Amino acid sequence: MLTLLLLIPLGGMVVILLLPKTAVRAIRMVALGATGAAMVLALELLAGFEPAGALQFEEHLAWIPQLRIAYHIGIDGLNLPMVVLTGLLGFLACVASFSITERHKEYFALYLLLEVGMLGTFLALDLFLFYVFWEVVLVPMYFLIGIWGGGRREYSAFKFFVYTLAGSLFMLLGILALYFKTHTFDLVALSGLAPAFAPPLQRLLFVAFFLGFAIKVPIFPFHTWLPDAHVDAPTPISVLLAGVLLKMGGYGFFRIAYPLFPAGAAWFAGAMAVLGTINIVYGAFVALAQTDFKRLVAYSSVSHMGFVLLGLASFNAEGLNGAMLQMFNHGIITGGMFLLVGVLYDRTHTRQLGDFGGLGAVVPVYAGLLMFFSLASLGLPGLSGFVGEFLSLLGGFATWRWHTVVAVLGVVMAAAYMLMVIQKVLLGPLNEKWRSLPDVNARELFSLAPLVIFVLALGIFPLLLLQVQDPALQRLLAHILR
Amino acid sequence: MMSVVLRESLAAWWPETILGAGALAVFVLAGWPRGSRAALAAAWAAVLLSAAALSAAPVPSPTEIFYGLIVCDPFSLVFRWLALGTIALTLLLVMGSQEIAASVRGEALGLLLCIGLGMMLMAEANHLLTAYLAMELVSLSSYVLVGFVSDARSAEASLKYLLFGALSSGIMLFGMSLLFGLTGCLGFFELRQAAGALPASASGALLMALVLMLAGLAYKVSMVPFHQWTPDVYEGAPVPVTALLSVGPKAAGLALFLRLIEALRPAWPELAPVLLALTVVTMTLGNLVALVQTNVKRLLAYSTIGQVGYLLIGLSVNSAMGREALLLYLVAYLFMNLGLFACVVAVVRDTGSESVEAFRGLAQRAPGLALMCTAFLLSLAGVPPLLGFFGKFLLFGSAVAAGQIWLAIAAVINSAIALYYYVNLIRWMYLVPPSVARPLRITPALGAALAVCALATVGLGLFPGPLLQWLDGRAIVNLL
Repeated sequence: MLTLLLLIPLGGMVVILLLPKTAVRAIRMVALGATGAAMVLALELLAGFEPAGALQFEEHLAWIPQLRIAYHIGIDGLNLPMVVLTGLLGFLACVASFSITERHKEYFALYLLLEVGMLGTFLALDLFLFYVFWEVVLVPMYFLIGIWGGGRREYSAFKFFVYTLAGSLFMLLGILALYFKTHTFDLVALSGLAPAFAPPLQRLLFVAFFLGFAIKVPIFPFHTWLPDAHVDAPTPISVLLAGVLLKMGGYGFFRIAYPLFPAGAAWFAGAMAVLGTINIVYGAFVALAQTDFKRLVAYSSVSHMGFVLLGLASFNAEGLNGAMLQMFNHGIITGGMFLLVGVLYDRTHTRQLGDFGGLGAVVPVYAGLLMFFSLASLGLPGLSGFVGEFLSLLGGFATWRWHTVVAVLGVVMAAAYMLMVIQKVLLGPLNEKWRSLPDVNARELFSLAPLVIFVLALGIFPLLLLQVQDPALQRLLAHILR
Repeated sequence: MMSVVLRESLAAWWPETILGAGALAVFVLAGWPRGSRAALAAAWAAVLLSAAALSAAPVPSPTEIFYGLIVCDPFSLVFRWLALGTIALTLLLVMGSQEIAASVRGEALGLLLCIGLGMMLMAEANHLLTAYLAMELVSLSSYVLVGFVSDARSAEASLKYLLFGALSSGIMLFGMSLLFGLTGCLGFFELRQAAGALPASASGALLMALVLMLAGLAYKVSMVPFHQWTPDVYEGAPVPVTALLSVGPKAAGLALFLRLIEALRPAWPELAPVLLALTVVTMTLGNLVALVQTNVKRLLAYSTIGQVGYLLIGLSVNSAMGREALLLYLVAYLFMNLGLFACVVAVVRDTGSESVEAFRGLAQRAPGLALMCTAFLLSLAGVPPLLGFFGKFLLFGSAVAAGQIWLAIAAVINSAIALYYYVNLIRWMYLVPPSVARPLRITPALGAALAVCALATVGLGLFPGPLLQWLDGRAIVNLL
């Protein structure tokens, strides 16, 4: 079943490669079908998942027996939310990808390859396999930003590629060191073996993996690739970058760095709390200073991912649950924000906040959606963003009181910059240029509506996701505090 | 008695005999008017027959033949295959390129086979005399081949190669004579025993002899500080010859390097730090200078120096795992580098330019070619799931396993640097629009070379198990 989840987008890619490049309709339909099927499958996994159980839907095949490398994938409470998120955003961003106007065949082939890489990274239970999928993501992303992006797209694409590869190479060293200590790549076996290492070694290995994950999250000061890549990527790719790729880094802590090196994680928790706080406050301040809509959303991601770090640093159930929930919520909310930025940009070809104004009266549906996602993003109670941030802060407060006090400042700032967006775009005097701006069309609405539902549902009833992830997180906590 | 030895020796040595005879036949055929087609057929026949003979030969337990001058062991078997593979792929490149004029193509093919023979011999040498003869056979044939384009640049490259080469083989010969003076023997096995029995007072002289000899080999494999000839020669030589030089002699040189180090084991403790330092310097220098190159052949020359730096890791860690990683990476390097050169041949043939700009918009002019070229470049950069990544994975792993963490970190940083210039070529192909819209066609010969290399790079990258199994045991065998 899980292999099928990987094979569907892969098969879609092969089919698209075989189609002639003029068959744009067929190419789009294949891509839509593949991502749609993947989404349905991910939701089926959610339905069939037994929260109390450990790993499920496991598959295990020897791959390179000489090095005991296996094709080992499985689902538990840690990666299921991520898989669902990937399936969902993968499909919705594919709908949004219909706005791509050139080189369709290459675009959708790379898009599906990207989806394989993302899903594989979350599913892998073998370190080697994890690394392969982790890197497979980079290549299509480079092309997707570099060919179909805007602005300084070549520079941004390249920066993204080099930053992430440099980080993951240190992770590779960590993987190698781990292998020569234990002679296995299997994460399940490793989580039993590696915690027995001497603390100095655990710290060293934790730092090696931290470098790989930190660049992806991104953690200050490794975040500089993010605004460039997010801003210059085409809209659907920004959605996936913010919605899914950043989560790969966060997920790495949950799946690898924490369970394998608890002593290293405990030693690093103080630094993690500080870095998380810096992310939250610094990201928010920089977002406040932006004049470019998309860049503002990009920096808000830095700020929001800070809550994930704070939750991780807390070492208690509330914090970990908050961090995990925040990853999912940030994915759907910021995904929605990027889609909205794209809607506006497609019509006006500008992203400068100063160019807009008074659009609330011209495009009412758009205005409603923008307000909805902005409020979700600033953490309005009742919408999903609030729950994740609240739990992270709650967990953080128990362990890192003063850090959390400072971090709360970030929530206030979030309100400031998000309300600034609403004010500059929707309120104020109307810029006459946009008097006849068309409102959101059916396709755009179709790509946004599911996100609205998720944001509302999780805001009102967060247990939907909490009950899936909580048993796994409790087990993780018991494992690392042992 | 003597005839028995000779008969047994010849029986184990059919592949080389066929290749040598083929070279002579090709030379004869090439002399005839319009004999280049026949010469080509003969060259292919020789390579294929030689491959057949090699695969039919029983996997040898180490057997010394020709009175101990040559050893056929599992280790050398890998290199014999590598040599044959290089020659076969280079033949395809020569057929696909127009740089070597038809009137002299026959001679070029003959020289190519000579180089193949020399490379096989280098890996099998068990005696300093054989080693020297084999290296000279490769070198002399290469000097001539480099000058096969009739322009000043090619002639300059050839002359430069000859002068540098003569100097370094002189140095090497000097080292050998020192060694002979110290120990009184030339066979590797005897050398090891004699070197072990040397008094401590002679250890300085032993190290001196070893360093001088290794200088000659360092020149062959383009190891810093003996790399200066590489970019100029690569730039001047016809592209297929550059392709050959970037892979074949490097592999053979490393094989001989390994054997010599094994033979002079007593000097290893003093040599190890030097080699370690040079490994790091070689990869760093190659990768850094490659960053600023605009001629694609010079770029690939520096990339080769960088890649040799990675390969030397397998040597400097001095473990069975290091050797196995080295062998695997050589196989990977053979396919990805020759594949990349096949792309260069196609581009140079179409545009007549060797600038990296010639690659602009290739993705739209020849999507398949650009895709394969991207695979080779990413494999060289070490991106999974391609074979180059797996090779690097093992090489870096051998460094970590040997406790050489700093070496591994240096290699990792180098990989990140190298990404820049590899991806830059990809950028030219995919992100820059073409200057001419005309599609670029590739000849069947080039297509075959590309297909073989791409299949190996991707297929073996995804499933390296069988390759590992084949190499397993060939790496840990005693080299003496």
